[in-house]
Amino acid sequence: MKKQEHLVFSFYLQKWRDLCFLPKFEIKHTLLLYTLLFGLGVYEGRANVSIIIEAIGQDPVTVRGNITDSQGMPLSGASVQEKNTSNGAVADFDGNYTIEVSSSNAILVFSYLGMQTMERTVGQNTSINVQLEEDANFLDEVVVVGYGTTAKKDVTGAISSIKGDDFKNLPISGIDKALQGRMAGVQVVPNGGAPGGSVAIRIRGTGTVNNSEPLYVVDGIPTANIDGVNPNDIESIQVLKDASASAIYGTRAANGVVIVTTRKGKSGKLNMSVDAYTGFSNVGKTLDVLDAPTLAEIKRERYANDGIPVNPIWQDAQYQTQLTNWQDALFVTGKTQNVDLNLSGGNDYSTYLFGLGYYNEEGIIEKSAADRVSLRINSDHKIKEWLKIGQTMSLSSRTSNGFNTTSAQNGLIWSAIRFHPGLPIKDSDGNYSSNQISGEFGDINNPLFEVDIQDADRRDTRLLANITPEISITPDLKFKANFGVDYTILDQRSFRPQVLNQIRTTNENSANRSYDEQFSFLMEYFLTYDKIFGDHRIGVVGGYTQQSFDYQGFSASAKNLPDEDPSQRLLGTGELNNMGEYKAHDGLESIFGRVNYSFMDKYLLTATVRSDESSKFAEGNRTGVFPAFSLGWRVSEESFFDVPFMDNLKVTGGWGELGNQNIDRLQYLARISRGQRYSLGLDGSVDVVGANQSSFANTDISWETVRMTNFGVDMGFLDNRLTSNFNYFIKDTDDMLLRPPVIGSQGSNPSPYLNIGKVRNKGLEVELNWQDTKGDFGYSLGANASFVKNEVVKLVSGTFLGSSFYGRPNQEISRTYEGHPIGTFYGWRTDGLFQTQADIDAHAEQPGAVPGDVRFIDINNDNVIDDKDREIIGSPHPKMTYGINASANYKGFDLTMFFLGVAGVDIYNADRMQGLDASYPFNLYSDITGRWTGPGTSNEIPRVSTLRTNLNHRTSDLFIEKGDFLRLKNLTVGYTIPSDLTDKIGLSRLRFYVTGQNVFTITGYSGFDPELGLTDGNLQQNVDFAQFPQARTYLLGANIGF
Amino acid sequence: MINIIKNRYLLPIACLSFLVGSCDKNILDTTAYGESTSATFWRNGDDAVAAANAMYTLLREEDSYGHNENVFDNCADDIFRAGDHGYEEAMENFTMDASNYGVRAGWKNKYEMINRANAVLINVPGIEDMDETLKNRVLGEAHFIRAFGYWRFSVIYGGVPLILEDNIIESNFNVPKATLAEVQAQIESDLIAAVSLLPATHNSENLGRPNKGSANGLLAKLYLYQEDFDGTIAAGTEVINGPYPLADNFRDNFTPATENNPEMLFAAQGSDWVDNPQYFVTPRPWGGWDFHNPVQNVVDEFEDGDPRLEYSIYKPGDMVQRGPELTEFTADLTQTGFSLNKFTTFNDDGSLSNQANVPILRSADVYLLVAEAKIRKNGLGAGDDEINAVRDRVGLPFVSNAGMPELIHERRVELLGENQRHQDLMRWDKAGIVDIVEIYGEDRGQFDPVRVFVRPKNYYFPIPQNEIDLSNGVLIQNPGY
Repeated sequence: MKKQEHLVFSFYLQKWRDLCFLPKFEIKHTLLLYTLLFGLGVYEGRANVSIIIEAIGQDPVTVRGNITDSQGMPLSGASVQEKNTSNGAVADFDGNYTIEVSSSNAILVFSYLGMQTMERTVGQNTSINVQLEEDANFLDEVVVVGYGTTAKKDVTGAISSIKGDDFKNLPISGIDKALQGRMAGVQVVPNGGAPGGSVAIRIRGTGTVNNSEPLYVVDGIPTANIDGVNPNDIESIQVLKDASASAIYGTRAANGVVIVTTRKGKSGKLNMSVDAYTGFSNVGKTLDVLDAPTLAEIKRERYANDGIPVNPIWQDAQYQTQLTNWQDALFVTGKTQNVDLNLSGGNDYSTYLFGLGYYNEEGIIEKSAADRVSLRINSDHKIKEWLKIGQTMSLSSRTSNGFNTTSAQNGLIWSAIRFHPGLPIKDSDGNYSSNQISGEFGDINNPLFEVDIQDADRRDTRLLANITPEISITPDLKFKANFGVDYTILDQRSFRPQVLNQIRTTNENSANRSYDEQFSFLMEYFLTYDKIFGDHRIGVVGGYTQQSFDYQGFSASAKNLPDEDPSQRLLGTGELNNMGEYKAHDGLESIFGRVNYSFMDKYLLTATVRSDESSKFAEGNRTGVFPAFSLGWRVSEESFFDVPFMDNLKVTGGWGELGNQNIDRLQYLARISRGQRYSLGLDGSVDVVGANQSSFANTDISWETVRMTNFGVDMGFLDNRLTSNFNYFIKDTDDMLLRPPVIGSQGSNPSPYLNIGKVRNKGLEVELNWQDTKGDFGYSLGANASFVKNEVVKLVSGTFLGSSFYGRPNQEISRTYEGHPIGTFYGWRTDGLFQTQADIDAHAEQPGAVPGDVRFIDINNDNVIDDKDREIIGSPHPKMTYGINASANYKGFDLTMFFLGVAGVDIYNADRMQGLDASYPFNLYSDITGRWTGPGTSNEIPRVSTLRTNLNHRTSDLFIEKGDFLRLKNLTVGYTIPSDLTDKIGLSRLRFYVTGQNVFTITGYSGFDPELGLTDGNLQQNVDFAQFPQARTYLLGANIGF
Repeated sequence: MINIIKNRYLLPIACLSFLVGSCDKNILDTTAYGESTSATFWRNGDDAVAAANAMYTLLREEDSYGHNENVFDNCADDIFRAGDHGYEEAMENFTMDASNYGVRAGWKNKYEMINRANAVLINVPGIEDMDETLKNRVLGEAHFIRAFGYWRFSVIYGGVPLILEDNIIESNFNVPKATLAEVQAQIESDLIAAVSLLPATHNSENLGRPNKGSANGLLAKLYLYQEDFDGTIAAGTEVINGPYPLADNFRDNFTPATENNPEMLFAAQGSDWVDNPQYFVTPRPWGGWDFHNPVQNVVDEFEDGDPRLEYSIYKPGDMVQRGPELTEFTADLTQTGFSLNKFTTFNDDGSLSNQANVPILRSADVYLLVAEAKIRKNGLGAGDDEINAVRDRVGLPFVSNAGMPELIHERRVELLGENQRHQDLMRWDKAGIVDIVEIYGEDRGQFDPVRVFVRPKNYYFPIPQNEIDLSNGVLIQNPGY
């Protein structure tokens, strides 16, 4: 920036300042101006600095010195450069450098990835030692990419990142939940709120109808999930979103890659810290259902409407007294607690971190629980000048207990909504009340009885560990290896007692046990080469990797255990019911390479290729080659760049191909399975086993290929306190593996997968961040949003993909069609209710309709209402997902808030659909009180009937609701005791805080929770089955540093 | 420089690579553990028998005789659907459309059964390491099962696509419907093959597999539906004169301990049902789900003193032994106040047994088929012997000079709940013997209200709409839907 312009700027600044004090300005305008002025003020300072750098020297001088980090650790590979020249040098293993500069006026620029750049004028010094400070500054942030790291400024692909500190000490059982709303383009959908429950993660939309979970890479180990890894162990998470960034993981990168880096020790004194919190949770909302007297009244009205005698049970006064609100009885106060102990430290040769964590969550339904014990040991060692060895290890054991809450046959919450409100929890004899009183109450078991007899638990044990030797062949050329193990054991047991006193009986008690093991071994060798040649900076990485996956397990069940006492529920005491064992193996073998090239720090190129061979495919079809490249231009580094307020402008663009092999193995074989049982003999006591073809073969089966194009713009304003990132992408999944719908005459085996389908996701991602400090007051604001359009471009010609059917009516809700998003809602459209017979006569022929019934629209105009009048009536894909986080600190106080939301999304409220259908023998939503009882009484809730002549509660737009919501996901207020006080009690840090999770939700959705997740893979989403709602949680916590 | 690299680094790198790197050369090799492939199966008699066993297991699914096959008989005037399957209301009342779940449920199940039979018929003849008698039996079972699958198709839907060996070999499944006559011709030829291949009876280990009598019995029924009375009489007489006598006690057919007695020509074999027909018919408070309730009209059909009423229906006032408990059956236990008890048996502890068979074809049925053929061919009294054989077993007085009314009565009470009545009524309606429109149009109260049966539309159920959609115009819907 030229001085003259700077002065002009100052002038304008002065004007702005004057304006700010004008009283007529509203507060928000003033704030906005101050915000701008903060930036401008600093801009002013920066411009002044830059003007100093105009010096000319004469005599060459040799300068030596040492470059270390703030802890005094040598920074091997740090660069030192004479400013405004291409003259540079690199520090050796001990951080020592030697450089000859043109004169004593020369300015040396010291830099290292992740450190603040430092400039020193040579002057009379021939020895300059510098300590570089770690840099929190956005632009120099280091981004972990596959097989290496890179400076954020050099990134040419689309990568989002968050720091572990951003979600530290939140009450979440898994890291995947922590990603929700934090990054544009990363959509996280919890599958209900049960403790330890799963989530679905979609990076840049749902790319395939098949498995579309991303690949995780934990400290270099590629894995399918990050279950068991303690969220508080995380240093940072990077999400590689576009093809250029993720192509280094070729075959498994089509759905995006989530790179997880865990915390490491730092050299220096031993640090010990304890983080602990404890809290409680409760259900955010319950649904209004009828009380016993109103229920009986409505039930009687059904018979009157149908002209048939009332079943006497509905006139029995005994069942018309309100006794139990089953939802209130079912939901209890949950508890959450967490303790983490960390020891870390090190010296010049070794650093280490030792962490022990315990997390325990008792859910808002009794017996729903999850806990996790985790142990972490990470260390890095410098054995020789040329040899380093690092290692990470995470050992975890998790238990969880849950209930079925996605069934409209016997789901627990589904049952609680519908169980008769006139029954007590237990009768006077202490027995659970039962619908055996009358079939008219429906075949639901007492939900609290079901909770009481629930006896099922699972334990997941996982070892995730690797060793990473690194040999420096020259300062630029390194050989690295990575040997990793991912070993999981899933051990499940359950017992169900004999149940004869509830309406859904279990004649024989049974015990089940299953044990599943997965062992994955990873072996990688690669070379890295980084070199600066004048204006050219080049980084190359290339190598070989293989990973094997071995699965095995067995299961057994026994029945008729003679003693149901909890201490006697062991398989061996009963009769063998069935048993099974399986074994399977998958393997992947690949070579990969990447080149990063930068010219004058302005023009950037990344090119990647990976070639994979996968055992998922038949020999001959195993190899897939996935290339990608991207280009970047750091416009702001150009001499002509001269935009007020703007410090950084980078434009990037890239293209690449990725693969997906997340499909069942052995699809290329026609398999014959044994195990179907039948019984023969006079009394059926001779068991025989059948064998039948269980799959059709497709020997041509091959990869799903994603082709992705990405354009990005990075901008920094006001001394990079305001940063923004925009990415636009088009992601085409080609050769999507589809099972052509099986024509019935083919039988019940699924068709083999064929590489037929196409899906397109395109969208825009925006990330904005503002951070600043003013004296003791620091604050930051961040927002991200993504807009993704999902479209199925091609399916098997002329077909759609169906999905599972809902509940007792066996009702179809979701279908996937070409030209529309995956899993749209499919049904009839309605136009209010028929108020009079004249209305019916005037309408298309709708068999069986009477006044008070729903008027369905004759979509195809054939004057008959039938199943040809269905169409797509809603989409479960949000138009926008977004997150907003804000944090502030002042002296010892800190505050963080995190909101997340979605907009432009539909929910199919199937639970309400059945909750308003009086033809079923269950309790009803209290909205039924607004039903049609005569002309003009309602245009929305049809009359009640025992019959289903008009099928008023068929799948229709009556039960589509907007699923938009804005949720204050987290709110934390903390206070750190001043260090002069904590020093006196021998602590280095003491902070107390309170956190609220799911504090409030603004939504028009009438169900428990608008976050419903998937109910049939990707083919059915956002359908309300009365899933386990997310709890509202409050915590009190402390961070103690010793 | 190069030398230094060699000396100092290559050795450790090489060691690392080879020590660890050489451990798994065949990482991409996979094995189908515990499974065979079509190339490694069909080696011997055991494989053939296992493949045959797998044909029957489909009968046990809910989409088949577990429940759904019986839903088609809810249309009869004997049974009210009850239960809580919304879609069954429209099926019972003839207001269903082609997308009704009930008309779709069994379609795939039957083709899967047929295709497992096709697999046996394709592969078993080539097995060398197999006893010839066993081979004949297995092939006979496959012919019988394929015929039975198409039989059910023919009575429910009329003409359907005929999937035979060539269709499997050529993966050619999307084919147009064969005509009803073509389907019946296929059934006939398969049954004739089964008659020649199957043994007259099985040893005790194999009771429950179809035998020669099963094939002849089904053949007799097929011929009657084709009004080939001579055919019915010929095939049926093979059964009547064969080793397939009526059980001593009517109830033996519905008692797990004796369920595969010689009278039981074919049944979906019980034992540990998962999708359990017993659950469907038993009252909810007794552990069932309360579907398929008998109605008053069929209760009234039984003659005084006919023990089959007690053996078929629980009615108010009946004392029922449920394990140690003697419980009175009361009207509020089910929706109509009656319960079909042919498949309901209780364990010693009072819980509902899941061991009972679902009878599909009994000798008693064949006796009455022959009687019907004789009456319709030769007039009054021609079927007295067969009718009286059935009545004799339950101690009822003989009829003489019996005509169709007596025959119709006897079939109704003998075979109640065995999935015959609706088909019987339609067969007789087509022959002008009864007026099904009038029978179903009668108002018999809440559980048997006026139902509009449209001829000829309702002789068949609609082809499932999703199959029509998937066929891309190849499958044509039945008339009227």
